[in-house]
Amino acid sequence: MEKRFMKGCEAIAEAAVRGGCRFFAGYPITPQNEIPEYLSWRLPEVGGAFVQGESEVASINMVYGAAATGTRAMTSSSGPGISLKAEGISYLASAQLPAVIVNISRGGPGLGSIQPAQSDYLQATKALGHGGFRTMVFAPATLQEAVDLTYNAWEYAERDRNPVLILMDGCLGAIMEEVVLPEPKELNYQNTEDWDLSKRNGRTDSHMITPILPEAALEMLNKFKGMSYKMWEMTDVKVEEYMVEDAEYVVVAYGIAARVAKEAINTLREEGHKVGMVRPITLYPFPKASLDNLDYTRVKGIIDIELTIPAQMRDDIELQVKGRCPVHEYGRSGGMLLDDEGVYNAIAEIVKGGE
Amino acid sequence: MPEYKRPKSLMPMATGYCPGCMHALATRLVADVIDELNQKDNAINVVSVGCSALNLYSWAGDVIGSAHGRAPAVATGIKRSMPDRLVFTYQGDGDLAAIGLAEIMSAANRGENFTVVFANNQTYGMTGGQMAPTTLIGQRTTTTRFGRDAATTGYPLQMCELISVLKAPVFVARYALNSPKGVMDAKKGIKKAFQMQLEGKGFTFVELLTNCPTNWGMSPLDTLEYMNTNTIPYFKPGIYKDEEADA
Amino acid sequence: MKKSFVFSGSGGQGIMSAGMMLAHAAIDMEKHATFLPEYGPEQRGGSAKCTVIISDDEIISPLTKKCDNLVAMNEQAYNKFQDSIKEGGILVVNSSRITKPIEREDVKVISVPVDDIALEVGNIKVANIVIIGALIGATDIVSKDIFVASLEEKFKTKKPEILEMNMKALEKGIAFGEQVK
Repeated sequence: MEKRFMKGCEAIAEAAVRGGCRFFAGYPITPQNEIPEYLSWRLPEVGGAFVQGESEVASINMVYGAAATGTRAMTSSSGPGISLKAEGISYLASAQLPAVIVNISRGGPGLGSIQPAQSDYLQATKALGHGGFRTMVFAPATLQEAVDLTYNAWEYAERDRNPVLILMDGCLGAIMEEVVLPEPKELNYQNTEDWDLSKRNGRTDSHMITPILPEAALEMLNKFKGMSYKMWEMTDVKVEEYMVEDAEYVVVAYGIAARVAKEAINTLREEGHKVGMVRPITLYPFPKASLDNLDYTRVKGIIDIELTIPAQMRDDIELQVKGRCPVHEYGRSGGMLLDDEGVYNAIAEIVKGGE
Repeated sequence: MPEYKRPKSLMPMATGYCPGCMHALATRLVADVIDELNQKDNAINVVSVGCSALNLYSWAGDVIGSAHGRAPAVATGIKRSMPDRLVFTYQGDGDLAAIGLAEIMSAANRGENFTVVFANNQTYGMTGGQMAPTTLIGQRTTTTRFGRDAATTGYPLQMCELISVLKAPVFVARYALNSPKGVMDAKKGIKKAFQMQLEGKGFTFVELLTNCPTNWGMSPLDTLEYMNTNTIPYFKPGIYKDEEADA
Repeated sequence: MKKSFVFSGSGGQGIMSAGMMLAHAAIDMEKHATFLPEYGPEQRGGSAKCTVIISDDEIISPLTKKCDNLVAMNEQAYNKFQDSIKEGGILVVNSSRITKPIEREDVKVISVPVDDIALEVGNIKVANIVIIGALIGATDIVSKDIFVASLEEKFKTKKPEILEMNMKALEKGIAFGEQVK
């Protein structure tokens, strides 16, 4: 255990190394450049490899190659780059390869802006690539949470033989705060030796890794994937429920938006308003029960707060609220930031209007 | 007298290639060389998209399929993670010289220590014979019905010529598989490339001129003569770069 | 106690390093701190801004609309951010570059000729130390001893004159800051 005052991107990079990452390929794009910059010197220190790819497309495919050898591999980018990686991410899902992909998101669509935004929720949770697959999506709100989720991301990726996405906005990527770094993991490669190309641990059998399958086998694979998505919902949902027991208004927010909202909720509580928050930590699997099981005889409204306009999480929220109370939304977009005053006012207006 | 047997590196099954297709021959040459170098269990075959993808099913050792054009990037990830393995890509001309141009040039320029086996048949075979970046001027395809016109489609890309001007590659050569001598030379070239990789020398590139009887619309026998009169004059066989010879 | 600081100016004025040093000093004092940089797209000479929050308790939101303390290093930054200081807050202006009269009457104003002091003690690069000095002089958020210790650690392998120059810059900044305490 080691305490350090670190920048978000660097904290993720260090946590990845400690979590066993031994290969990184990436392409420069703001606001995530500190991840490749850090790993370019850090990975060789632990016997890993760093490659600056000629493109986002090449980088994700390098990760695909490294992952096929059972090496814990990662790439990172921001929205526009993740779009380019979509092909490779779909191939990872199809070839059943574990990998960790980090999106430090910025304003979109298009080249958008380099300033922070939570503009990639839909891309992350609905369609990271073609073909109808899913990945777990981790959305940390603090750097400590980012460190812990990154450190353990390969455990999920290898268990499911599927990529894992860490979605964090540019604000958390750039911010510095204190983190406790966990001890480096001992690597034994036992999770992957049954199928990888490494012939590690004394294995001699050859393997085929393929992103293309005959029809019946592909259907089987998709059924299997469907089952694992169901399993995630039962075992892997991570959520923070904050003061929801008696709440009449429930904010739903993730990442940086949740931090700003929490501050506003604290102020509103001090003023005697019953406001709480559901903060998804896994955006997929979405914490359905936390919203479905609310007591809607008490809850008068749900407020979706995101650093994007229009709100992207709203569909997932409404599927659980099922019309039992109104769903409101508030956000900023394009690289304009949320702030304590704006979020407080947005929530207060709804809360006070309904009382 | 040596016995002519199926290479151990290939599965005991048909390749799936059309009758008379030189992909089957090219695959066999690679497999023979790997057997001879006793590398069957050490080799990793990085297969691409197009007819070359059929090798996924016939390869007996470690094999991985990759996205269209991305095999050199996939091979980079593999080789950097497992430097002691013999890693090679097997790519066609649409895959390598069109959609994968960035990946091949960049991997070559980085001097990645793997081998690229490039089968150039001047057409997209798997998708039904469209114009490839290597299609000859005047050659008819399903997207150049009156023959490839340089005015709108440019000229056939000569990959050996392009790659050999880069500083990092250590062996770049082209062979034509339409004659016994071409086949024998090609096998020697593949072997040399693999040996150089095993010695850690750097990026090696072997282009094999092949045919496509199905999409060229001629008998396998006719393709041999067609290659002599059309393909070979433009894509000249030879060793374009050999760092060992220069040394 | 929780205090927010905004450092603003243009790239190359030591905005980011000043904010980072303040945050590090707070961490050295076992407080909680966040440092959030904001850049324009330019690599050099564009606008630069960072927000530092220092608190005895865990910091929930690192984003704040109004700050307790604002450092404005040029007129553009002053114009853009002077409204964002909370009533009763502190405004540090770089009077070497900001010559217009200060409009806010509900904040404590420290006018520090940051560039002139830095040049006088030896190098424009110590401008950020002058600013930190002013903030140390005007607030109780970071102790002078802790910050001096961090400077000594930072320059221990460098020529003693460098530490000396930084110390001079710090002392001059503190003297300006203490005027409003």
